[in-house]
Amino acid sequence: MIVLDPNGEKLNLMPLNVGPSHPATHGCLRFLTAMDGETIVASVEEIGYLHRGFEKMVERGTWQQVVPYTDRLNYCSAIMNNIAFCRTVENMFGVEIPERCKVLRVIVNELSRINDHFVCVAAAFQDLGGTTPFMYAFNPREEIMCIWEKLTGARLTNSFARIGGLSRDSYDGFEQDVLNALNSTEKALKDLHACLDRNRIFLDRTVGIGKISAEKAISYGWTGPCLRASGVAADLRKDEPYYDYETYDWEVVVGTQGDCNDRLQVRLAEIEESVKIVRQALKRLAPGPVDIVDPRIRVPAHKLAYQDMEGLIGRFKSVYEGIRVPEGEYYCGSECANGELGFTIISDGSGHPYRIKVRPPCLTQFAAFHELVEGGLLADSMAVLSGLNIIAGELDR
Amino acid sequence: MTVEEIFAALEEMFGAKREMQDKWGVTAVVPATYLHNAVQYLKDEAGIKFEMLVDIAGVDYLTYPNHEGPRFAVSYAFKSLSAPGSRIRLKVLVSEDSLKVPTVSDLYANANWYEREVFDQFGIVFTGHPDLRRLLNHVEFVGHPLRKDYPAQKRQWLSTNDYLLPELEKRLEELGYKVVQRSKEVETNDNEFLEGSIKE
Amino acid sequence: MGNEAEKPNIITSSLDFLVNWGRSNSLWPFPYGTACCAIEFMSTEVGRYDLSRIGSEYVRFTPRQSDVLLVAGTITYKQAPILKRIYEQMAEPRWVIAMGACASSGGFYDCYCTVPGIDHIIPVDVYIGGCPPRPEAFFDAMFDLQKKVKDESFMKQRAESVKEQLEMIKAKTAEAKREAKASVHEKVTDVKVFMKEKEQNLVKKAQFWKE
Repeated sequence: MIVLDPNGEKLNLMPLNVGPSHPATHGCLRFLTAMDGETIVASVEEIGYLHRGFEKMVERGTWQQVVPYTDRLNYCSAIMNNIAFCRTVENMFGVEIPERCKVLRVIVNELSRINDHFVCVAAAFQDLGGTTPFMYAFNPREEIMCIWEKLTGARLTNSFARIGGLSRDSYDGFEQDVLNALNSTEKALKDLHACLDRNRIFLDRTVGIGKISAEKAISYGWTGPCLRASGVAADLRKDEPYYDYETYDWEVVVGTQGDCNDRLQVRLAEIEESVKIVRQALKRLAPGPVDIVDPRIRVPAHKLAYQDMEGLIGRFKSVYEGIRVPEGEYYCGSECANGELGFTIISDGSGHPYRIKVRPPCLTQFAAFHELVEGGLLADSMAVLSGLNIIAGELDR
Repeated sequence: MTVEEIFAALEEMFGAKREMQDKWGVTAVVPATYLHNAVQYLKDEAGIKFEMLVDIAGVDYLTYPNHEGPRFAVSYAFKSLSAPGSRIRLKVLVSEDSLKVPTVSDLYANANWYEREVFDQFGIVFTGHPDLRRLLNHVEFVGHPLRKDYPAQKRQWLSTNDYLLPELEKRLEELGYKVVQRSKEVETNDNEFLEGSIKE
Repeated sequence: MGNEAEKPNIITSSLDFLVNWGRSNSLWPFPYGTACCAIEFMSTEVGRYDLSRIGSEYVRFTPRQSDVLLVAGTITYKQAPILKRIYEQMAEPRWVIAMGACASSGGFYDCYCTVPGIDHIIPVDVYIGGCPPRPEAFFDAMFDLQKKVKDESFMKQRAESVKEQLEMIKAKTAEAKREAKASVHEKVTDVKVFMKEKEQNLVKKAQFWKE
């Protein structure tokens, strides 16, 4: 297409389509660019290629049946989404979960965060042409996956949390496994920093690329590591603490430039902080119950169903009718790997959710994508995209 | 200043009412005509500045038990970064006849996509929105899937790929460029383009 | 030289066996990864499981260079035309693996926007269950596909395609002949007109040069 630029000069632009099936668009994203040589002049994004109807599907099931759907929002850190949803519903009930459950949730939360950040950094390296760090980052990830297998029975989509507790308690030797995983995480971090920090090629391709100012990021509603990379110390774990996050000793990681390199470095530094939190949480892990004792919220233990009448009735009712969440509407956000994952829940007091609206952290970040890439090179847009860590399942629901 | 005081100010200035359904936080029901002003007040003038628009959610109350009043509602969630932990929600009731809400996309950049999503899922029109088209569903989709009267399993095939070139031209014009000659591919009825499409 | 000649360096085999052996041990996948299964495919590629062991190490991101279309993840109606187009762009021989419950049947997304199985759009050779399937399940599917590839007869396919092509050529020539016969009259008149015009042009030119 031939255009006149703001100075009145004639330009011959080439429209170039990227995605939705492109190696760097992990998942299904698409953007159409107008190219002047190698420079992107304008770009528009299109999403919805993985719109699976989360919000329509959950209206048909019971409250506990929502949990597997939340797994598939951000599938790199599935447990985190479970916990965010369960926390929202528990807040609506106004119940407090047992201490052991809290600590276990913190541990699995932070392990998921490590997992998610590793995928992001590994994929960013892969997109920029570095295969070695990809392998380094996936080794501790596989170890955490092994813990998930032992703990929940699944590798990726775990459905571990339940409203009012966890699907099961941890197994024997869980602590040792987590410690081993943390050790190999630290080793992998060392390797990754060796690959990343002084790598001329990597720095040339990421420093100063895809810059965004704090004001603009806030206006776009950015949250999580991407906002923190722009220099805003906003973390829901500190701002609106839950699960006693404020009592652990850790820091909010903040970047300075708000460019692509900062976003990846913030993620790597957050892995370190998560390792700190998990180490402290492991020390707090004391024996005790993990579920709430309230048959209206949490299914009574299986053995109770065979022993007394109330256990049997409670189990029957909560399986066939589902739990009844108090009537009303509520919004609650939790700090997930990519930012604030919020659920707006409207309950009509019956056994089915009336409406659940997800507030995905990725959507706001991808909405600002054109601002980041316009004026840059096409190859840089790949670095920007992988630095944002857009997860299609969460983006399109 | 607390969120309660801000709600009192909203009540005084814009005739906001308390949403009794929200038992856990503060939700103000604002008349649609004052929505833009109320949002501007929250963003720039209120004692606690709500810098971030967190979410916009549409609701269809068609099958809600004992519901009185308009069928649809749009709720806005705001968050403050200068006073961490402060949140407030606004709500606008939309009747089935008008289906119109003023846009806030000139105040918050991310409202653009949120409003497109609500339009896509519920058919609520945001007046003054720069580019109101579907966000999640495809271009040939008929109806609005999250309305309660849309059957969950009513499937709609897409015959060909979505087209983005007109939007790209719009974006170029936003940036100050002027399209002199359109791209050849803009003709959507191009046979070559339709080659890989799904035919019944 | 002499040393080499003493060694037996000729293998006799059927062409089918040789071609299938080559094909089945270098199945280059095109990962059409959309959702969770794509992440699991990433795990399959790296260290612990190592997909290169069975000759599928080259993940090709262009349909022109790949043999296996690996559909990993949910396919929505918005994506369906793209998937079909990519399948059509792949060169023969091509195979398709539907990885995971969503690609095989729509999974638990029984909804207005998800295609209930990619076999509504393109033919599928191997289905893998699981949400998402474990890397071991993926390997199992690759072995199944290898078996399937080994069962195919390259010569038979070729004979069939040659036969088809011959028939097509025959039909086309017959059609062309018929057309030629019908248009022979018109053509003759056309030629006459053409010659006349040419003659006139020449005359004009000659006159021009004379002047």
